[in-house]
Amino acid sequence: MNGDLYREQLLDHYHNPENFGVLEDPDIDITQENATCGDTIHLTAKLDDEGRISKVMFEGHGCVVSTASASMFTTEVLGKTPAEIEAMQLPDIQQMLGGVTLSMGRVKCAMLPLEAMKKGLQKLAKSA
Amino acid sequence: MSFDVSQVKRDFPIFQREIHGKRLVFLDSAASAQKPQPVIDALVRVYSQSYANVHRGIYTLAEEATAEYEQAREKVARFINASANEIVNVRNTTEGLNLLAYSWGEANIEAGDRIVVTEMEHHANLVPWQQLALRKHAELAFIPVTDEGELDLAALPPLLADGKAKLVACTMASNVLGTITPIKDVVRIAREAGAVTVVDAAQAAPHIAIDVKEIGADFLAFSGHKMCSPNVGILWGRHEMLESLPPFLFGGDMIRSVRKYDSCWNDVPYKFEAGTPSIAEAIALGAAVDYLTALGMDAIHEHEVQLVQYTMEQLADIPEVHILGPSAERRGGVVSFWMDCAHPHDIASILDEEGVCVRAGHHCAQPLHTRFGVQATARASFYVYNDEADVDALVAALRRVVKLLKR
Ligand SMILES: Cc1ncc(COP(=O)(O)O)c(C=O)c1O
Repeated sequence: MNGDLYREQLLDHYHNPENFGVLEDPDIDITQENATCGDTIHLTAKLDDEGRISKVMFEGHGCVVSTASASMFTTEVLGKTPAEIEAMQLPDIQQMLGGVTLSMGRVKCAMLPLEAMKKGLQKLAKSA
Repeated sequence: MSFDVSQVKRDFPIFQREIHGKRLVFLDSAASAQKPQPVIDALVRVYSQSYANVHRGIYTLAEEATAEYEQAREKVARFINASANEIVNVRNTTEGLNLLAYSWGEANIEAGDRIVVTEMEHHANLVPWQQLALRKHAELAFIPVTDEGELDLAALPPLLADGKAKLVACTMASNVLGTITPIKDVVRIAREAGAVTVVDAAQAAPHIAIDVKEIGADFLAFSGHKMCSPNVGILWGRHEMLESLPPFLFGGDMIRSVRKYDSCWNDVPYKFEAGTPSIAEAIALGAAVDYLTALGMDAIHEHEVQLVQYTMEQLADIPEVHILGPSAERRGGVVSFWMDCAHPHDIASILDEEGVCVRAGHHCAQPLHTRFGVQATARASFYVYNDEADVDALVAALRRVVKLLKR
């Protein structure tokens, strides 16, 4: 049952996402596609001197789950190291979303921002 | 309408179950249809009474299985007004079309040739030709789709005029727009220009009467699972075309004799049925053909046109809903739409809570969605077991989507 997906908290993030837009001069700049629907997320981020995430922005049109997930993700990961982000998994995202259980079809939507960030960090590590 | 939908619904045991405590409203038959009891019974009967491998044994059981397998082939042949030796059992439409792209395509397409498809093709009738064109350095050309969701037929003759077009592949009904294409005209124009014609009937065979002689094409493919059967696919080809094609897969059953360094092929259609086929599934397709024939293909189509008409009328009252494609009388039982306030994933999730199953996404027709400037749509599709109460459930659930997501 997806009932709890459409609670006020997630809908607020959907209608008024935080950190919506594009960062200037980002360290991470990545676009990731959800293969089931063709939705894309464009994620930009900066790291501080210690290599921790200091600012994240996203843009893209998506469903409630992917938009709310991206919106919450932009603050959830602040201060985290690349290794800490690499270690994040689905349960972390479900918890971030307020403890929802996601049906199989919606997992990909929720995981899109995390996947984009992981890919962006890998790209950054390779270019360093 | 000449069949009783409530009776038909009772033939499908799946409608006894509930989803989230609600009545099951199944509106995704364009993806795959539910199965009636006679088809399920046929499967069970084969496995419990007459199962053995076909074409090999000379014991009673094997002979019975072979006879039933061949009888089903004859039923399918009659269903589309073809001969049994023109019916090739494959896995699904996709495999039938790939068979052609490899077997016919490798032997007939050369650099500089043109392959014509349409903008509304399912990926199954696009990507095999696209990849063939890339392998052979041939050109791929598209019959465009109009804003109303119809084929722009006037664009076809110019694509054929220089004689370079060797193949025209076209769907008979769109799985997104619902559009029933003027397939006879497409085939006639293409054949007059000397092109070979391939028809994707995946969305047509379950819903409208097919007469391959009347259509006049060279090849036509469809999937059993969309027409109340287990999953087997059918590739029909004109006998002389099938005769002229090289085999696609090699192995058992498709050979007449094998020597160490060369082999002779079996007759068509067996030349294209390498290895053990899906025996019980093919036999059950015969039962599905019987079931649909008893309802009457014309009655099925009429039933769906009425449901689509009713759906489009009801949806017109929800201003946030935008429907793709032509008017009801020009389509099969498919209505795809998008909403101002809701992403298709959210539409499908919220509808699911109400027991209403619709599909969200690009429905394996990405170029068509791009053509209409949308990334994804939600799709409701109808079949013999759907009624106006199902449409009412859809409409009520869509109103709930608006209430939840519109600000
Ligand atoms: C128009 C059309 N062509 C081809 C296919 C492919 O059918 P299958 O998946 O059975 O191979 C489909 C199924 O979705 C379809 O709708």
